[in-house]
Amino acid sequence: MALRHPHQSHHHTVISYPVSLWQRFYSLALVPLLVVLLGAAVLKFLAAAPSAAPSTMTWQHLLWALGASFWRIALAYAISLLVAVPMALLVTRGRWTERILLPFFDVLESVPILAFFPVVILFFVRYDFFDGAAIFVIFIDMMWNLLFTMVGGLKTIPQDIKLVAQVFGIRGIDYVRRVQLPAITPHIVTGSILAWGQGWNIIIVAEVLHTYLPHGVPTQDLFGIGSVLVHASANGQTGVFMAAVTLLVIGIAAMNILVWQRLLHYAERFKFE
Amino acid sequence: MQNALNSNEVIRFDRVGMFFEGEETALRGVSLSVAKGEFVCIIGPSGCGKSTVLKLIAGLIEPTAGTVVRPPVVSMVFQIGSLFPWLTALENAAMGLTARGVPADVAHRDAMRALDMMGIGAFASKYPRALSGGQRQRVGIARALAVRPDVLLLDEPFSALDARTTHELHEDLLSIWRTTGTTIVMVSHLIEEAVSLAGRVLLMRAGTVEHEYAITLPRPRREQAGAFEREVGVIRTAFFR
Repeated sequence: MALRHPHQSHHHTVISYPVSLWQRFYSLALVPLLVVLLGAAVLKFLAAAPSAAPSTMTWQHLLWALGASFWRIALAYAISLLVAVPMALLVTRGRWTERILLPFFDVLESVPILAFFPVVILFFVRYDFFDGAAIFVIFIDMMWNLLFTMVGGLKTIPQDIKLVAQVFGIRGIDYVRRVQLPAITPHIVTGSILAWGQGWNIIIVAEVLHTYLPHGVPTQDLFGIGSVLVHASANGQTGVFMAAVTLLVIGIAAMNILVWQRLLHYAERFKFE
Repeated sequence: MQNALNSNEVIRFDRVGMFFEGEETALRGVSLSVAKGEFVCIIGPSGCGKSTVLKLIAGLIEPTAGTVVRPPVVSMVFQIGSLFPWLTALENAAMGLTARGVPADVAHRDAMRALDMMGIGAFASKYPRALSGGQRQRVGIARALAVRPDVLLLDEPFSALDARTTHELHEDLLSIWRTTGTTIVMVSHLIEEAVSLAGRVLLMRAGTVEHEYAITLPRPRREQAGAFEREVGVIRTAFFR
């Protein structure tokens, strides 16, 4: 190839290449997928876990319960990420989709999940998939935070950046992975933090299935930190209750320090000034 | 022969009109022709349609009337660099190439060359956040040059920079124009900037090209105070008419 720039003398040969955009895109889709697959395996394993309200509760039991709840939330989170990202991209694709979908989502979001619960739970219970019911509730609860923060992020991509993409011929799927996904990375992180907060909140309800089921539907509560808390408080086991709350707080704090703080720091790079 | 370019032409507008729904007419019957290797500067009050002309040349919009003939590879430099914050200077500069499917190693080599031309090869692995305004704009120009455009468009590229940095970038832009022979069309709101850089200045007003001035002063022009000021004065009188 003939070069039109003549005055070239030196080359910088040592260049550090950070993670390529492809890798970033892959990881964004692959990580949730892996979590879903791994989570499915864990769920199968959990089916053999102790019952929700054993007569004696050990620390080991509590840790086990925390882990079980964590996996339910993680699974629900992965699914909500897989659903919310394409949905956010779809909503902001054009004026038309935005005009139709956004009001629709607004209405959906305001429907209380617990009103949803009996209807959906009946479906899962019919197939004896109690975890499915809980995960569905958590997923619905988590998704809106993610969806709306991402839509907000997509709508604040600066006009200049869009023009740059247009001038250099970045369009279609290329535009999604080279511009939109990196641009909403900080929003995905903040949306995820909010979503996990919601998740820990709703887990306490979601695991205690019998409270929302129509009378007479055979079911069982799920083993997890949420159901442990509910049963301990119902049975006056103050010690167990306090221990479970402490463990929950430690777990959430650890996640904040180990995961969210780091991701927040990492996401700084993706912010427009 | 309305759609064909003369051998020496790279851009041609024939009675181009641009109407945006519900807005005032952006362009009215603009006809212009830019020759290969020319340095043209468009000036005019805000809202006169000068940015619309650039967008038409870049192919970002299509005219609602008349015809625009443009070359295949057009690239553009924006006001504040407009770099992608998550990419390094090198990756930003290579963006136009990788977007066309140029393999990463080739794209990075060409981008590195463009960064070197702009004198910021040493900052290749830095992120935009760590660069000054002038350095970012240099990366923005390198990104535009890396694709070896037939026409390089600049939309008020120095308006956010201090006087010293602007002066340095003027010099660099002229030297790149001389060495690469790239045709340059630049929009500016500064008459002095236009007269010190361009071979031809177009003064636009209300969607039309009102005046054209050929600037034949030898460069560097600012040093010939008398002649330079005379040119600027002529255009200024028309500008503030």
